[in-house]
Amino acid sequence: MPYFGSEETVKELKRALSNPNVQADRLRYKNYITRVIRYMTQGLDVSSLFMDMVKASATVDIVQKKLVYLYMCTYASDKPDLALLAINTLRKDCADPNPMVRGLALRNMCNFRMPGITEYIEQPIVAGLRDKASYVRRVAVMGCAKMHSLQPNIEIDASIVNELYALLRDPDPVVVVNCLRALEEILKDEGGVVINKPIAHHLLNRMKDLDSWGQSEVLTFLLRYRPRSDDELFDILSLLDAFLQSAHAHVAVATLRLFLHLATAHPAVQADALQHTSGALLTMCGSISRELRFAGLCHVQQVMRSQPGLFAPHYKRFFCAYSEPSYIKFRKMEILVELVNDENVTLVLEELRSYCTDVSPELAQAAIAAIGRIARTYSEKCLDILTGLLALKQEHITSAVIQTFRDLVWFCPQSTAAVCQTVEACVDCPQDSEAKQALLWLLGEHGEQISSAPYVLEVYIDGLKTELSSSVKMELLTAAVKMFLCRPAETQDMLGRLLHHCIEEESDMCVRDRALLYHRLLQQGVEQTRKVVMGPKSDPSMSVLTGHQQEPVSQWVSNFNTLGPLSAPDLCIQTPLISSPEQPSNNAEEELLPVSKDVSPSIPKDDQEELNLYLGPPLSHESFERTWLDLEVLHRETLSYTRPRTTPDTLQAALQLVKIQTLAFTPGDTLPWKAYLYTRGNRTLILAELLQEDPDSEGRLVVSVKQQPPNQHALRGFVSILSSVLQTLNVDS
Amino acid sequence: MIHSLFLVNASGDIFLEKHWKSVVSRSVCDYFFEALERATEPENVPPVIPTPHHYLINVLRHRIYFVAVIQSEVPPLFVIEFLHRVVDTFQDYFGVCTEAAIKDNVVVVYELLEEMLDNGFPLATESNILKELIKPPTILRTVVNTITGSTNVGEQLPTGQLSVVPWRRTGVKYTNNEAYFDVIEEIDAIIDKSGSTITAEIQGVVDACVKLTGMPDLTLSFMNPRLLDDVSFHPCVRFKRWEAERILSFIPPDGNFRLLSYHVSSQNLVAIPVYVKHNISFREGSSQGRFELTLGPKQTMGKAVESVLVSSQLPRGVLNANLNPSQGTYTFDPVTKLLSWDVGKINPQKLPSLKGSMSLQTGASKPDENPSINIQFKIQQLAISGLKVNRLDMYGEKYKPFKGIKYMTKAGKFQVRT
Repeated sequence: MPYFGSEETVKELKRALSNPNVQADRLRYKNYITRVIRYMTQGLDVSSLFMDMVKASATVDIVQKKLVYLYMCTYASDKPDLALLAINTLRKDCADPNPMVRGLALRNMCNFRMPGITEYIEQPIVAGLRDKASYVRRVAVMGCAKMHSLQPNIEIDASIVNELYALLRDPDPVVVVNCLRALEEILKDEGGVVINKPIAHHLLNRMKDLDSWGQSEVLTFLLRYRPRSDDELFDILSLLDAFLQSAHAHVAVATLRLFLHLATAHPAVQADALQHTSGALLTMCGSISRELRFAGLCHVQQVMRSQPGLFAPHYKRFFCAYSEPSYIKFRKMEILVELVNDENVTLVLEELRSYCTDVSPELAQAAIAAIGRIARTYSEKCLDILTGLLALKQEHITSAVIQTFRDLVWFCPQSTAAVCQTVEACVDCPQDSEAKQALLWLLGEHGEQISSAPYVLEVYIDGLKTELSSSVKMELLTAAVKMFLCRPAETQDMLGRLLHHCIEEESDMCVRDRALLYHRLLQQGVEQTRKVVMGPKSDPSMSVLTGHQQEPVSQWVSNFNTLGPLSAPDLCIQTPLISSPEQPSNNAEEELLPVSKDVSPSIPKDDQEELNLYLGPPLSHESFERTWLDLEVLHRETLSYTRPRTTPDTLQAALQLVKIQTLAFTPGDTLPWKAYLYTRGNRTLILAELLQEDPDSEGRLVVSVKQQPPNQHALRGFVSILSSVLQTLNVDS
Repeated sequence: MIHSLFLVNASGDIFLEKHWKSVVSRSVCDYFFEALERATEPENVPPVIPTPHHYLINVLRHRIYFVAVIQSEVPPLFVIEFLHRVVDTFQDYFGVCTEAAIKDNVVVVYELLEEMLDNGFPLATESNILKELIKPPTILRTVVNTITGSTNVGEQLPTGQLSVVPWRRTGVKYTNNEAYFDVIEEIDAIIDKSGSTITAEIQGVVDACVKLTGMPDLTLSFMNPRLLDDVSFHPCVRFKRWEAERILSFIPPDGNFRLLSYHVSSQNLVAIPVYVKHNISFREGSSQGRFELTLGPKQTMGKAVESVLVSSQLPRGVLNANLNPSQGTYTFDPVTKLLSWDVGKINPQKLPSLKGSMSLQTGASKPDENPSINIQFKIQQLAISGLKVNRLDMYGEKYKPFKGIKYMTKAGKFQVRT
């Protein structure tokens, strides 16, 4: 760090350290060493003092030794040749009668990150593994891992690995856990430490001796073990039972994860465990530390994916306090939205209503969006609140309310009339482009129900010259065309002006092209235009797909108690901004770190690669047919239900929501009914055929899948997504 | 597991770093600073920040961010709790955990961090074991050390790990044998404008300071153990005995430790010790607002409510507040709009009040949100949940120990909406 006079300081220290008078006075000598360390931690380069510091390591004073070791570890990689001089002192210390000195020397020797050190440290480490003091053994075990990381390419020393496996039976619990940690690092390329039956049971029996950190880690390692029989499984579960109540949140949650993981085949046991730990999770949500509270909330959110009702009686615990940081408030609101039921809806809405006027605009908007999501189930009550909010005439509130209205109308058509009435009464126009787009969409889509709609549009068309955002202009074009189709007399003149302006004077290419497109379309005649422009006005089936749904525990348990859910962005802030109805948001789970894929001990690699379907460039009918004929059927499955009895549009929209494109299907109720679908994911193209031959009563839907290139994992993922969509649609209809 | 640790102060400077594996460049903290910039308030920084190659997990305590750099998948709770343990240890060693204290004791801090983690894995985190490895700096010891030139490192290895009871060292000797227990309860509550309780819960802990010779076996019983249904214990407590008889039976660790923590949430059990009468109003069209606040005790069983501090974030439109406290002093910061009133002790005969007017920006519309009021207070000699220790017995040793129990109630997140 470029401090003034830093060179002077180093020189002065060097003089002092090499002064025999200072060296003779233990206290003064140590004070100078402390000063060197202090400068070092401030970022000053004191590496030129290396020789003097090495000399200082020959002392009986442990603190001085510690300080010098700290210095040497920091600079050893820069000055490897000088560091070698220090090795001798350290090796001598490794034979000291005081175990603390032995451990300290060994640990620091392993911390030297410089090439060629291994030949010096190997022998002391092996000796340390058999030391009679557990402190030294702990250090030595960790030393094995450090030694390996110094030269990762060298073949693993089988004798050390065996010794470490043997040390799993060490009487000292920390040595046991350290062995696991070290083996995990050394054997990383081979899939980590192997947990077989004797090791698993040994660890389970030692659990109560370990400190909480060790317990948590052992529980994570045990995720690798699969019990052979149900009896063994229940033995293990009863051993673990006490840890569900651990005072340490991280142990309790790690135990819960292991429980859920082991009891995959016993949903009742899983439900019981969740019930059992709900208290602990709630306590975590009320913890004093705000970080723990946040983590608790994230975990509650995950549990609620399977058991939405579990926390409903405790909904008041998720009310926000004024002093809480915003990331906690956002999570709490997301949870409140999920918790709502007939009994608490009034109180929850009242609570959310009070957040809408919060000082922070983000929070207010998130609260409004949350009310909007509740409105999909309890529309009347929520509409009253939202309408009331418009009366406040606060710009950011109006903006959020209008965006919420747009989403609401799309998801539940029954609220359309009320929304239109409110929009008509709302006089002031929103200022930000997101809200403008939402308002224009509402006006265009439901213009026939809003009597003043053409006049509002006219205001926008007149103010076109000052409008900056091109997306607002495009939305305005669409709205004007739609409006023209339902109320031609009032709109014709302004549409003409709008098109003229956009084609002749507009500099933005996208807007101009859109205007030209509409212009040409209108030249084809009104009926043609109507066919193209007017789509479905709402899609209630989407709220079924995005709304409450009980997922099986296995859907989320693989990333329970991992970093993924905690670093996922808050949904509440995102929904109002991105969920333009035509482009459903992709709530794909945040992927884990790239490194974590290899290291995470719990899940086999195959499962961890998440399936992300995407549509990619559209496939023409011809190329689909060609590919279909070329490929072999990789998977054929008879589903346990018939084809969905929804309209083709709904089916198509629902499938598109999960990024599956429908290419063609048999119209109406003719049999055999067929549909062809395709999608892409994980670098493979997936083609599928749905076929129903017999009449409904007996016939089952047969799905055949072809793939290029084959990828079993993606294929399984695709089939499960497809079947869950079809199932949902069946329930819905 | 934990690769590196950076300590960042409130103004965004890294003032200490420690690496347990290879050295991670300070530039990794840039992602943290970005998040810090985006957050409007210092506490709004999300605890987990993903970066392309690392995860940063941070906790904010005493206005210092403890930022841990993580390179592989770990249970997040593990890291968060560990960081809190680090802060607790610093606080235990230096009395306070401030930037100045850490800088003054930088050598002890490095020694501690070195012992607490090895290669990124937790090694020794129990306070009494650490204290045997590294003696905490006390004024007396600092003086003695300066004179004799001796050190603050224990020359002997901790024996605790070798005894049958892992949390207690063998051969403990005291001339005065004492066992003190502190029952401390924090009440978290949200009260709505009409004075009814929206949520209320109590977070309680029993902290102990036990200095007893030998291997004492203690039993502690409560008058009303039914209160404790959501409870977690120090590992020394025999859980089976608690389940069967509702009695705490344990061999205590030596020195200070947290015996148990509990949570009372069912609302009819949580008494609210303070009530607030308020009248905060703004009139449409006028540039004045009224402000009236009166505090009073209730359900405190005659115990005095002390160290009362009221704070409130007034709406943005408020320019200034001209108030008149019947006792204590108040301050209003026109920039942050934070009103705080240091009340002191509540006298039930003469209730403290704060009355006056607020001036608003002329022409601004009436603020649509009413401020909420945060209250801090302390009540000595009372556990608000009604928890009471019945008796404490000692077995296994011959002497008579001195026993003491103190109760205290504090406000946690205590909020009144207006």
